[in-house]
Amino acid sequence: MKAWMGCAAALVAALLLVSGASAQTKDWSTIRIATEGAYKPWNFTDPSGKLVGFEIDLAEDLCKRMKAKCEIVAQAFDGVIPALNAGKFDAIMAGMNISDKRKEVIAFSQPYGRTPSTFAVLKSSPLAKLPEAGKVYSLNADGLAAAQKSLNDLKPMLKGKVIGVQTSTVQANFLEQYFKDVIEIRQYKTTEQHDLDLLAGRIDAVFGSISYLKGVVEAPDNKDLMLAGPRYAGGVLGFGVAVGLRKSDPELQAKFDAAVGAAIADGTVKTMSTKWFGFDVTPQR
Amino acid sequence: MSYFELMGFGPRGWGLLLLQATLMTIAVSSVAFLLGSVLGALIAWARIEGNRALRFAAEAYTTVLRGIPDLLVIFLLYFGGSAAMTAVAHALGAQGFVGVNAFASGAIAVGIISGAYQSEIFRGAFGAIARGELEAARAVGMSRRLLFRRIVVPQTLRFAIPGLGNVWQLALKESALISVVGLTEILRQAQVGAGSTRQPFAFFITAAALYLVLSSISGWGFQKAEAFGMRGVRRA
Repeated sequence: MKAWMGCAAALVAALLLVSGASAQTKDWSTIRIATEGAYKPWNFTDPSGKLVGFEIDLAEDLCKRMKAKCEIVAQAFDGVIPALNAGKFDAIMAGMNISDKRKEVIAFSQPYGRTPSTFAVLKSSPLAKLPEAGKVYSLNADGLAAAQKSLNDLKPMLKGKVIGVQTSTVQANFLEQYFKDVIEIRQYKTTEQHDLDLLAGRIDAVFGSISYLKGVVEAPDNKDLMLAGPRYAGGVLGFGVAVGLRKSDPELQAKFDAAVGAAIADGTVKTMSTKWFGFDVTPQR
Repeated sequence: MSYFELMGFGPRGWGLLLLQATLMTIAVSSVAFLLGSVLGALIAWARIEGNRALRFAAEAYTTVLRGIPDLLVIFLLYFGGSAAMTAVAHALGAQGFVGVNAFASGAIAVGIISGAYQSEIFRGAFGAIARGELEAARAVGMSRRLLFRRIVVPQTLRFAIPGLGNVWQLALKESALISVVGLTEILRQAQVGAGSTRQPFAFFITAAALYLVLSSISGWGFQKAEAFGMRGVRRA
């Protein structure tokens, strides 16, 4: 019994020792960046296990500009903000949109990408005939009146429909704010879950970022799916995708701001986004 | 690309990553299960032999940990644990962030949950030992320690094996929850593969098959262990 307990104690002690990660100084010569690794083409994983995608290329470029050594780690999206605040890593680059709700808990750099959001539906669905397909509306103050009119036009067509969206995203906030009274919102932990439910006909539409949905409807398994209706950007849908940072690190935020600004100014963001998305995601001012 | 090419070991296949993830699932479940066995034995002992305070503490442990969602325990340990360890390190003069390793916190979380279930199994198994055997052992003058080693442990284990088999399968499946803390086990790898190739069905079916293979093999192992434990008992 004693020997057995000794072994157990040694095991626990070993585990605790392993867990004591080295304490870090904050001169930002090394920066740990978290990404999801499963959100093509923003960030995903190739079959050898290597992280690839637009944000991986961009992160490497930004780190060169900041003269920092970067370590990019994959982390499930639903734990990413608490893990940042707990100090597991220093920055998030995971296709994360700036939103007012997120700004309450973390800080953001200036945005490095902005893509509108839209609906995806089954080709056989009545929603396939949503009006104004492909037209982009801005929910910022300047375009809000026109956007509000188009939203009101959509409401009768969406009445009683079930729409899927990834939980804790700006798209979920958008549906809550504009369509809560007419549709049933079904929230999913990951985007591929709502894609599967859409294919199965369990929900009538999904609402998501065009950069993601475009790839979905083009995948061979999804030939029954299509994009539908107008596209929305700005406002509750966020001011663009940006680097998420702790509020307590303003000097790191300044570094990222400068690096992102430089990468946009010299066209690096445009080149990389054309490579990965097939279109330009550079945020327009 | 065909299903087998996608799941294979070729340059575009995900076989190697899925195999590594499977090993991670086995590793984290095994460590968690063993930790749970140690905890479970201690808790069962506290509930059987302990004084009133110890009994109360042990009962509270099993009630609380069997009563709250496993995911909550994992979150508490991982995020709460990191915050607490950072605070302790700062109090000792260190700077920056001190993290709880994902493997350790995941294994400990599943382990303490498993311990709550295992304690009930050990307690039940101990209750199933024929009182006469214990009395006989005392009558021939065995010390408490010898009685524990020769009678209580082997007999309790014999009755506990089927229940332990169940708890092992629970630990195996709970290991899937650890993906939230960033550990790449089967489910997380399947999600990454699904998101990176846009072929979720292929990956989730494969993940299901991998879990089934693991639980079938271990189920067979527990059956063998049960047969071995019962070798001295005549079947009715």
